[in-house]
Amino acid sequence: MVLITGGLASGKTKYAASRFGCTITDGASCNFDEIWDAECISHYHQLVERMLAAALDPLEITTRLCSKNPDAVILMTEIGCGIVPIEKNERIRREMCGRCGCILAEQSDEVIRMICGIPQLLKGGASR
Amino acid sequence: MTILVTGGSKCGKSRFAEQLLHDFKGRKFYVATMQPYGSDAQEAIARHREMRRTKGFETLEQYTDLAALSIPDASAVLVECIGNLCANEMFSALPPTDPTEKICTAIRTLSKQSECLVIVTNEVGSDGIPYDSYTQDYIRILHTVNRELTTIADTVYECVFGIPILLKGTVS
Repeated sequence: MVLITGGLASGKTKYAASRFGCTITDGASCNFDEIWDAECISHYHQLVERMLAAALDPLEITTRLCSKNPDAVILMTEIGCGIVPIEKNERIRREMCGRCGCILAEQSDEVIRMICGIPQLLKGGASR
Repeated sequence: MTILVTGGSKCGKSRFAEQLLHDFKGRKFYVATMQPYGSDAQEAIARHREMRRTKGFETLEQYTDLAALSIPDASAVLVECIGNLCANEMFSALPPTDPTEKICTAIRTLSKQSECLVIVTNEVGSDGIPYDSYTQDYIRILHTVNRELTTIADTVYECVFGIPILLKGTVS
């Protein structure tokens, strides 16, 4: 598994497409069933939001994804570096995104953070 | 030895900070700055307590004024976190005229008193939302404190989804 994170529009999708040439499944709009054999899932933070809205457990699904689809490339916007939101659901969303990110990073062979389109290797990278 | 651990929300900072003191042989103090108000705070406190339960920390609750702490010789101290401390100081009934100076002076003293000091702080400036002036002041002051703390610390890490990235110093 490869996790690619970074801020909004930092170049995650472009990098994944050019490096892996994989079909990208958009986590913001795909069916939940598609994630189990997707080559690459983008907007994972929005997928987490959608799981919460559907009363699914993002931590359980993310853990299961790591074991059922261990070759997936996951693109996830880093959203935790701001002020704690006043609204309870916003706080839950932010917290779940962070915790899912920790699960994905732990299970990934390689973790990359994009800054201005430049990949910064945070973990692994033997395959490059 | 003073180590600063920064990062966003739920990025694994606490776990990493506690691991840094895993092999420390002397007494270990956990300075908790989060006030137990509201269900979120209580949940976070319960989760952190559980995480520390078996790790041999003695908890000191100190929501403001870290200079009031007295730490026995040859101890390790983990302060969690500067984000809460900064808010508590700024929004207390009698806020200090210079919260940055107050916090940094107390941390310098703690740094001298303790054998090993680990400080957890937060990155709060990257959500691009234009807040009211109180919140903007908070962001500015917390980040000013952070910049000062990196000069006090021997080692600085940023945590991203549980992965520590060394920003200053060497891995101990």
